Amino acid sequence: MPLGKKRIGIVCPYGWDTPGGVQSHVRDLAEYLIAQGHTVSVLAPAINEDALPEYVTSAGRPISIPYNGAVARILFGPVVFARVKSWISNGNFDLLHLHEPAIPSISLLACWAAEGPLVGTFHAASTRQKIAFAITPFIEPVIEKLTARIAVSEAARETLQIHLDTDAVVVPNGIYAKRYANAQVDERWSGNTIGFIGRFEEPRKGLSILIDALPRIITAIPDVRVIVAGPGNPADVLEEMQPELRNRFTFLGRISEQEKANFMSSVAIYVAPNTGGESFGIILAEALAGGASVLASDIPAFDSLLGHGKYGTLFQSESSADLSSKAIELFGNPSKRKELALKGSEYAKSFDWDVVAESIYDIYEMAMVGSTGVTLSSDNRAWNKLLGRNS
Amino acid sequence: MNKYFVGFSAIAILGWYLSFLATRLDRLHGRVETSWANLDGLLQRRAAIAIEIARSEIADPASALLLTFTAHQAREASVRDRSQAESGLTGALGILLENAESISSPIELSLVQELDELTAKIKVAIAMHIEAVTRTQMVRKKFLIRVFRLAGHAPEPMIYEFEGDVF
Repeated sequence: MPLGKKRIGIVCPYGWDTPGGVQSHVRDLAEYLIAQGHTVSVLAPAINEDALPEYVTSAGRPISIPYNGAVARILFGPVVFARVKSWISNGNFDLLHLHEPAIPSISLLACWAAEGPLVGTFHAASTRQKIAFAITPFIEPVIEKLTARIAVSEAARETLQIHLDTDAVVVPNGIYAKRYANAQVDERWSGNTIGFIGRFEEPRKGLSILIDALPRIITAIPDVRVIVAGPGNPADVLEEMQPELRNRFTFLGRISEQEKANFMSSVAIYVAPNTGGESFGIILAEALAGGASVLASDIPAFDSLLGHGKYGTLFQSESSADLSSKAIELFGNPSKRKELALKGSEYAKSFDWDVVAESIYDIYEMAMVGSTGVTLSSDNRAWNKLLGRNS
Repeated sequence: MNKYFVGFSAIAILGWYLSFLATRLDRLHGRVETSWANLDGLLQRRAAIAIEIARSEIADPASALLLTFTAHQAREASVRDRSQAESGLTGALGILLENAESISSPIELSLVQELDELTAKIKVAIAMHIEAVTRTQMVRKKFLIRVFRLAGHAPEPMIYEFEGDVF
């Protein structure tokens, strides 16, 4: 990297201790940049301040707010604003990378307070945020300060174009493809199995659609089993389903990253029946990297990630009838499954952190051209200079 | 007394808003300049690589001549003709690298790879520059900015017809 080592500040709007796509993206990116020799500081809300890695600074306890179909743990307010400002002024950063700066969060506060090279990454893809139209006049001058904008998918880029009337460069989320390259097939999970990973209690993850589709799949494939991984209480789900379906389900609970890789190489079909609220679908990239053949709902994020059906099969979102017929088709055609998996794992290499972080850093470099670093915008105000004030 | 108070606060708020708008516009003008400097630098590097390719073994004499000519043209073009000159260079590179798979020598391969990486960067730089220019033009059209001449002597940023220049 020709410009030498940099000091980079990253702001993550969601609670660091809660699992989520944005958080793991920020964590992986920060760790990758640190491994490259840069100095990285992450500002994020956190519940348990003692358990944070060295490079994370806590902005305070997050509050839970229902947002975009899920409960988001975010944080803002005057005290937090002061904390964000002191983080920026103590950090001496060459560049700030703000994640999801268009929602009321510490990213927006940081964008408001800072002056200099700012890069924003937009994750959300949703066309239903009516409120966005109402707050656009306030957000616009703030978002305008971003030197460069990144969208994680074509869907996120479209959302940005519709709501904020600005364009962005698409850089996908990253995965560690190498971890998937040497995954092992686990006998317990292979055979005629359907895999599912996620917080299965959340309705938008769509496990109930898979459960509804199962009886029809069983009539065609009698020995089909469903393996579910992810945090949650399986008792509630099992209680609600028909008794004869219960013994088809195996719940693994939370699994490690290596187990996840093995899981993807073992299951016959990986199903993602999400009904929406998904911005990128990193799990599908991981499934492809692991060599699973993917069956996903046709929500915009999945549609674009799977190349409109080139690297996986799509079914009509929220339709268990379509899910079951597509699944039966895939089970009955192993050669098509193999072909999809082969194409998919080749394609998944473009999501490897080596590729993704390099393109993000290229954007950093361009944003830093001709700049002397990040300052607080309040330092630049005329009256503060007149009064000789320096914060 | 109350009347004066209201009048005074209205003027104060207007003053604050005008200074806010001026800062916003100033920042945008700054971004137009830095993004152009960045793009210009990348395009100059592309022209330099093109000349290097022209002198390497990939190029037959005819394409070497064409490439050298278009690269020099791109470097020396005035802002007005820049876009056309860059398109010419892209075309010349395109003709030469159409069958880039047959290149085997490591030096030439690394040249072609460098060009590929640079092209990706240039695409991003173009997007950043166009965004800055259209934003600036939009803000400059605002009523208050025109009435109070907040743009000062900063020249109107030129929209650069770069779309499709580099691919």
